[in-house]
Order: sequence, then structure tokens, then C-alpha cells
Amino acid sequence: MDYGIEVRDQEAVVCLRGRLTFNDHGKLRTLIGEMGQNRARRQVLDLSSLEFVDSAGIGMLLIAREEMANADKQLILRAAGGQVKRVLTVAQIAKIVPIED
Amino acid sequence: MNGDGPELEPRQRPRSEPGRETASPAAEADQLTDGIAGARVLIVDDNRINRHLLLALLERGGITSVEQAEDGDDALACMERFKPDLVLLDLMMPQLDGFEMCRRLRADPRWRSLPVLAQSSLNRVEDRIRAFAAGATDYVTKPINAVELLARVRIHIRKHLMLRDLERYHSRTRAELMLARSMQERLLPSPSRLAELEAETGVAVQAHFAPSSELGGDFWGIQTLPGGRIAVYLVDFSGHGVGAALNTFRLDAICRQADSTADTPAAFLAAVNRRLCRLLPTGQFATMLAGLVDPVAGVFRYASAGSTAPMLWLPGDEAPRLGDGSGLPLGLLASASYEDRELPLPPGARLFLYSDAAIEIPTGGQEGGHQVLDDTGLAALLAGRMRDPDGARLLAGLVGDLHAAGPIDDDLTALLLTRRG
Repeated sequence: MDYGIEVRDQEAVVCLRGRLTFNDHGKLRTLIGEMGQNRARRQVLDLSSLEFVDSAGIGMLLIAREEMANADKQLILRAAGGQVKRVLTVAQIAKIVPIED
Repeated sequence: MNGDGPELEPRQRPRSEPGRETASPAAEADQLTDGIAGARVLIVDDNRINRHLLLALLERGGITSVEQAEDGDDALACMERFKPDLVLLDLMMPQLDGFEMCRRLRADPRWRSLPVLAQSSLNRVEDRIRAFAAGATDYVTKPINAVELLARVRIHIRKHLMLRDLERYHSRTRAELMLARSMQERLLPSPSRLAELEAETGVAVQAHFAPSSELGGDFWGIQTLPGGRIAVYLVDFSGHGVGAALNTFRLDAICRQADSTADTPAAFLAAVNRRLCRLLPTGQFATMLAGLVDPVAGVFRYASAGSTAPMLWLPGDEAPRLGDGSGLPLGLLASASYEDRELPLPPGARLFLYSDAAIEIPTGGQEGGHQVLDDTGLAALLAGRMRDPDGARLLAGLVGDLHAAGPIDDDLTALLLTRRG
């Protein structure tokens, strides 16, 4: 997995690319740190270029949600497709994290 | 032996070793306490004066556990008794020479990684190559430079001790993991238990359980209930390996305590979830499918916490039909509630439950993409096998199909329940 961050007026958009799995633990920790640092209150994870997520990856998204809440920020998941969308739907992650198309 | 001297370069008196002059007492103490002081060195040399020189040199370097041998035979005999951490080996000796001694040493698995530092007055490249070919670790030529020899001895001993620690750690860890694995396997119903269950209820159960490392984050359970009903569940913790495996033991205890007889599957999941929420840190969760086989009503009632979709096959069907696995995984939200769902289960029907490893197999796909097998792909593989009356053969065949589809890098559990016709 790799990512790029774009901080806009109202929100920071983080584009995740590739596969998000257990192996990305360290990288996601770094990313969560960066998301905590920037000014935007809304932290959007753009998942349109994410091709695969496993259960450990979902776990990391939930950690990100909690860390953002602790920093008084909001995490939003956006534009998931394919396998990623299926996994988020089956696990009803929308009950915990706002998901936008 | 001829040519085996002079032994020390005259100007290399150990007291004037460069580097040692500036070493503080503390640094020297460090060197003595890093394990090298207790190291055992075997000096093999046919020349008594040489041996004494090397002995003095090692002692000055803080290595006091030293034995001496005067030829290869003598040295091999000494190996058994002394078990050195390093051998300082002369090459030209009467009887068994250094080359042959080294070869014999390496033929014994116990000494395969022992550092052997050849020291010889043979200084042609061919001689060094011969020594390395015989199994020497390193080579110094006479006249011996005291500083260089001690430095090399230290390096090889340190490496050897580190490697030995690592090997010990590795074998201890492996033994512990194997024990833990057998404990985890004992959480699962035994083949004899499944045979009893089949005799009792007319439902045959075949299972495949394959953690991707020694320990896994999957487990499953089954029990008979009054009225000929059967409770079954399949759990998949996020991640895999030791951490996920520890969670399986916790959840197993919770499942055994939770009274699954009175509850519907949805109420059972909600109760398990409430207890698990108190235990799991953020980022860890489990998907779970809990179901009740009711032969009297001819249905399979189930609830899912983000599990895979159960697959049902009815006699005469072309392909299995998919149930609904959606639901919030366990351990995320204490207030989560679950939904009871139903699939028909007449005599002859088959139910297939599986962990997500089975549908996350990468299949490559178009333009080198990241496609996975998916539940429709899995259903297609199953469709070709569902008519097989032999459940064990069916499951083994399907597992073969899955491995042929692509690499499986997660814990794979698969359960096949067949209701006798």
C-alpha cells in the first residue's frame, strides 16, 4: 500500500493505493500520525485506488477512526469499489465510520 | 614442522598493540563480559612453542579456557570432551593434518558451524583455497600478528555465540509453538466426536483446518442440542499468527460459557459480542457465523457477524445458493445487534461454511490486476463437486481446487455439513 495526502480548505484527502493488509501496519501508523498533524477536521480516506483489504486492514481503519476521534477529528471513507466495497458492506462498517460514495 | 615459525612478528609485542593502549578499563571490562571471556578455544599445533605462544596471546586477550592438541587425532578426541567455541588450527602436522581434521570436523553435524581459524605458514593462494575447501572459517598466515589474530578470534567467537543463542531461541520457540498448536487443535471437535454426532443426528460433518503459520486465528465448534438440533459456529479473528490465536482461546471460553441452547443465533452473537468488546483492543475483531441446524423444521437458522456468506446446496441444484453474511464483526460495538436468517435444509441438503481465506485468493485476472476468487468463484468451484456422495473426498477436492486457484496466505477453515437423505 502507498498513499498521498492532499490538504484542502475543509478536509484532508488521503488517497490509498494498492493492497491494505497486515504488512502495512507500520505505514498506516505513520499515516495516522500525519493525519493527526494537519489542520483539517475532516479526514477523508479515498479508497477508489485501493484494490484489496484484509481483516487486519479493516482493523487498521478502525484504529484510524479512533485516533481521529481522540484528536477531535472525523474519519470518512470514500469511494470504495470492488473487493474493498464488498468487505466494508459485509462487515457493516458504515455503522461505525461514515462511508461516502 | 618445517617452515612453521617464526611465531610472532618481533615488533608485535602484545603490550604495544595499537588500540589496546587507548582502551579504557571500562571498555576492557566490557570485552570481558560480552561472553568472550567464557569462550573455549582449542589450539591445535604440533609445535609446543607455538601452542604456548598462542595460549599466552589468548590469555592476554581475556580468553582463559583453552586446551591444546598436538595433531588432528588428538584434537578430534579433545573435541568430544572440551566442546570448544573456536578451533585455532595449524595445517601441517604429523599423523592427521589440519586439512583432513577440518574435513572430518565438518562431516559431523555438531561441528558444522563451529569457527575454525586456520593458522599456517603456508601462504600461497592455493593453500588458502585448500583450507577453505576443507571447511576452514578463516585463515591467518604465520608469522602471527597478535592484534590481528585476537581480533579475528573475537569476531568469530562473537558470531558463533550469537548464532548459538539464535538457534536456541529458534528451537525453543518452535517447540512452544508446536505445543500451542496442539492445544489449539484440541479446541476443535475430534473426528470421533464428529462420527458420534453423525450417528446421533444424521448430519455428517467434514472439516478442513489449516493455519497459515504455526498458529491461526480461525476456529470452529459444533454441539448437539435437545430435539436433535445442532449448534455450529465458525470464527475468524482479524490478522493471524500468535496474537489472533490467543484470541481464539478467549472466544472459545466465552462460547462454552454462553448458553447456546436457549438463544437464537442472533441473541447468541449479541451476547458473545458484548463480552468480547470488553476484552479486545481497537483494531482487533472477529467475524463469526453462528447457526442452528433444525432437522424437524428442515431449516438452518443462522446469524452473521461479518462472516462469509454460507453456501447451501439442495439435491438437484446446479450450483450452491448464497446466504447473507452481513453483520457487524464482534468486538467493535458493544450495542451491536444481529439478525436471524434462515435457509431451507431438507434431507440430502448440504451446507458449506468457510473462512474468508477461501474467497480472498488472488487470481490475477485481467491486466495483471488484483482480482480475488470471490464468493461467486468459490460457488463455481463447489458446483462441480456438490454431487459427490463422499463428503471427505468432496472437501479434499475443493481444497485442492483452491490451492490451484492461487496462493492462500491466511488461515483456511472449511466445513461441510451434509444432512442424510
